[in-house]
This record gives sequence, structure tokens and C-alpha cells, in this order.
Amino acid sequence: MKSTRVFQLTALALVVVSAVQVGWWLFDQHAYTVEKVNAARAAYAGQTAAAQALLDSGTPATRVQQLLPQIVVTGTQASLAPAVEQALHTEEHRRNNQYAWEGGFFLLALGVCIAVIARALRAEARVLEEQDSFLALVSHQFKTPLASLQLSLETMALRAPAPEAARTLIDRMLADLARMEAMVTQILESVRLERGRVDLRAESLELRTAVARVVTQLEERARAERISIANAIEPGLYVLSDPLALDVVVRNVLENAVAAVACAGGGDIALSARAGVGEVELSVKDTGVGFDPVAGARLFEKFTRLGAAAPRGGSGGYYGTGLGLYIVRRLMTLAHGRVAAHSEGAGKGASFVLAWPAAQEPKP
Amino acid sequence: MSAANAGPSPVLVVEDDPHLAAGVRENLRAEGYEVSAASNGEEALAWLREHECALIVLDVMLPGIDGLGVCRALREQGNNTPVLFLTARGDPADRVRGLEAGGDDYLAKPFHLQEFLLRVRAILRRWDWYRNASATAATAVLRFGGNEVDFRAFRARAWNGETQELTEKEAMILKVLAEHLGEIVSREDLLERVWGYDVFPSTRTVDNFILRLRKRFEQDPANPKHFLTVWGVGYRFLIEDQP
Repeated sequence: MKSTRVFQLTALALVVVSAVQVGWWLFDQHAYTVEKVNAARAAYAGQTAAAQALLDSGTPATRVQQLLPQIVVTGTQASLAPAVEQALHTEEHRRNNQYAWEGGFFLLALGVCIAVIARALRAEARVLEEQDSFLALVSHQFKTPLASLQLSLETMALRAPAPEAARTLIDRMLADLARMEAMVTQILESVRLERGRVDLRAESLELRTAVARVVTQLEERARAERISIANAIEPGLYVLSDPLALDVVVRNVLENAVAAVACAGGGDIALSARAGVGEVELSVKDTGVGFDPVAGARLFEKFTRLGAAAPRGGSGGYYGTGLGLYIVRRLMTLAHGRVAAHSEGAGKGASFVLAWPAAQEPKP
Repeated sequence: MSAANAGPSPVLVVEDDPHLAAGVRENLRAEGYEVSAASNGEEALAWLREHECALIVLDVMLPGIDGLGVCRALREQGNNTPVLFLTARGDPADRVRGLEAGGDDYLAKPFHLQEFLLRVRAILRRWDWYRNASATAATAVLRFGGNEVDFRAFRARAWNGETQELTEKEAMILKVLAEHLGEIVSREDLLERVWGYDVFPSTRTVDNFILRLRKRFEQDPANPKHFLTVWGVGYRFLIEDQP
């Protein structure tokens, strides 16, 4: 990476020096031409003056014309022949034109080179910066569950807690580990999505069935948190998406909803869908903790956790990796769909809308 | 606080991660502190409007107003409750930012439980010392060169009649210097007494605080009469009337 940079900078320097040289050459040639033309003009002026002197001294006009063929005599007045004046002018013009075209072309070519190299340098710097901030964010994100793990372990070591308290600590540690594991998976996923190294298929999928599969997997957890999930999606709505991507997107949004409702101490999640113009919209409404609409603008950005409050005295809380909704948005963009979130405010629930391109029922 | 009232020292824990918050809370309770909790900055500020505590354990990365913002807001309101920052970032620049926002100490995540408890005790001990050292009418007020410092109110009237709100660090430095009137106090001693151990990356911070004190209380800060530099060692504090 570093050697590439040195190479690019060297190339940039060479090109800039060349451009300056071409510029100088252009200026120099122009100045030279002007100088030569002026010298010629001065010589002709000398001839004209000599011719005039001859005329004034009584030399016949024909004799003067013989001696100085570039001079024409009209009456008693000697002057430079218009053809000579014209030729001088044409030559000056021709040369200047030539330099302007040649030099201009080189300058343009070099300018393009400079722009290309500078752009590459800037793009590279941006990539490096993004990588740095991504790494900083990732390590930062790991420190909180790590701190929690260490605290739980050291608490056990220091206080030798009773079995019941120890159980709480162990559950906490397991949850922290699970969270870190989820983070690793999601970080890898988001990096893969960012690099564009995903081959997404476009298949016709029946929305109700696809969503129901995710709901089944989440039902047990939802029941434990006193959450009811109502799937009111009508059968027969087909969307165009990659089956795995659809699964990931729906799971992330539903897990989010479950966590938000769990935080509020239980409630409902309602799923519905409708066919729009060329698309099918899935709506996920929950009665959870919601979010501040202003902060909601950042909801789909990397590592945004709007950090809803943990229930008083409860051990659980709203736990995100800050990558789930980022992945959702990336996948939805790749699937030519869209995703939007809405909440009236903290404590007022939230609704997510996912829309995919509509598809025909697949032929058997 | 323990000197002022016999009950356990109330500590407010402000942390948005529920597991970490629970762990910190339980451990502080086990040490005999009375603990309250808040999970974001707004909640913490609201709680502090109605309650008092001896120490705030404050996470830096909070949703909404972050920890630094909470600390700054408190200091602006004249609330001098000591703050121990917890943060996932531990590089020196971040430490300095935290301490400049008015924090007393700074602990990077993940941290050791014993060290955390030690630091909590150290901060509370420093404040006990300060309160005890400002407890009597004679020690609560310091007069020098036309300035009058009220250690209990963290307020001073300067020689030019201006009222000066002191930060707790400024007040503590003044207290240490006043306790050692006319003696040389080293920068390290000041760090140790006012900030505790290994908090600051350099002793230059002490110099900055002395500069601030000179600006507040010296008629000509460039030619100090009270806060004298002893080159290479530290500082000496003089009350004008005394030799």
C-alpha cells in the first residue's frame, strides 16, 4: 500500500513538472516568434526608410524598385509591399497557432493525468480513513461486552456469590458472549456486503411463507418476553428477492422489534403486507420502546444504537450490535427494494416498512 | 461525605449497557454504597436536579447527551459532584478531554473490578479531605491580596471585585497550597492530592491550572505575587502580608 502511494506521488510529481515544462516551452516559442517577426519588421522598416531616402534624393522609382523588390513606390512615397506584410503576418499566426495546438494538447493530456492520479490518491486516502474508523468503531463496540464479561468474572472471583447470584452472573456472561458472537458474524457480513462480494439471486418468493418461517424461530423467545406476534400477511403476495437475504432482513427487523417490545415489558408485534405499484410492502408494527424521530435518521447507519432504556431493575436490555439495520438497508438496496422506519417518539412504539419489487407466482 | 453524614455514600451510576450497569451497581452495593442508576444523560441530569450524591460513575458514550456533555452541564450549573468516567476509549487525548470536561478520574473499559473500587474510594477520600479541610469557619474562607475564596461555595471575590466560580480542581489546588502556606509544593504532590494517581499523562496540566488561578487572582498574572513558580520543583503560595 505504501509503495503504491510513493509510486503515485512520484508519477504525480513527474506529470506536474512535465506540465510546467510544456507551459514554459509554449511561452518561450511564442516569445521567440514575436521576437523574430519584430526583427523582420524592423529590417523591412529599414529598407522602407532607405527606399524613401533614395526617392527623396531623386533616384527614379523604377531603380528603387529594382534595388529593393519588397518595396512599392506610390507617387513619391515608399512603403512595404502588402504581400510581404501579409506573409509576415501569416507566418506569425501559423506558428502561434501550431504552438497553441501542440502545447494545448500536451497540457490537456498532462492535466488529465494529474486529475486521474489525484483522484486515485484521494480515493485511496478515503478508503484508508474509512477502514481506520471502521476498525476503531469495531474495537470500541467490543469493549463494552468485554468489560461486562470481565466485571462478571471478577465479581465471581472477588465475592464468591451464592448459587442464585452466581447463576445471574453466568447468564449475563453467556449473553455477553452471544452478543460478541453475533457482532463477529454481523461485522463479517457487513464487510462482505460493503465489498460487494455477494451474489444475490432474484427469485419469486411468497412473502407470507418466508416471514412465517422467521416468526416460528422467534416465537419461543417472544412468548418468554410476553410478546405476541400477529402475522396478518395475506397469502399470494410474491416478491423478487434472494431467499437468504429476505430471511436475514426479516429476521433483523423482527429481532429488533422483539428486543424493543421486551424492553417495554411485553406487548404486540403486528405484521401486514399490501401490494403497491410494482412492489410489495411489508409492515412491522410494534408497541415497544420506539425511538426519537430525530435520532431515527441515523437508525440505518453503522453502529447506531439508539440505546433504549433497560427496564427498571431488569437484567435484560435493548441489546444491538449496531449493525443489524445497516445490513438490512444494504441488502434492501441490493434487492432494489427500500426500507423505512417510523416512531412517534420514545415509548410510543415503532413501525418498519420493507418493500421489494413485486414478482409473479413462480410457474411449477 | 461519610464525615458529614453517617449513612452510606450515595453513588449515581450512568451507563447504557444494562449488564455493565448491573455489575457496577451490584459491586458498589456490596461495598456498602447506596446506588442509584440512570441509563442515559437526560435521565442522569433529571435525577441530579432532585437528588445529591457523593460520586457519579459516568459512561462517556451514552445515547443522546454523552457523558462529557453531562459533566459539562453539571459544572455549568455549579454542581461539583465528583465524576469518574468509564469509557471504551482510553488514549491520552480522550483522557484529557474527559478531565477537561470536569471529570475527576478516568477508567478505560474493560477495567479491573479492584481498580475500579480503589478509584471510587480514592475519589471519595479526596473529597472527604477537602470537606473536612473546609469545615470550620476559619478554614472555609481564604483571604489573600484582596481576594476572598469561599471553599464551601466554590466561589471567590477577586481583588477587582469580580465574582469567580471555581472548578472543584481549582478549589482543591488552592486548598492544598493554602495548607502548605509558604512551602514549596511539587507538581507531583499536587497531582497526587488533587487528582490521585496516574490519571494525567503529564504534570503540565498542573501548570495550566496554576495559570488559570493566576489569571483569576493575580493583579498582574505575568508577575505573580501569590502563586510563585519554583523552577524545576513546583509552586509556592504566599499571602501578601506574610514574608
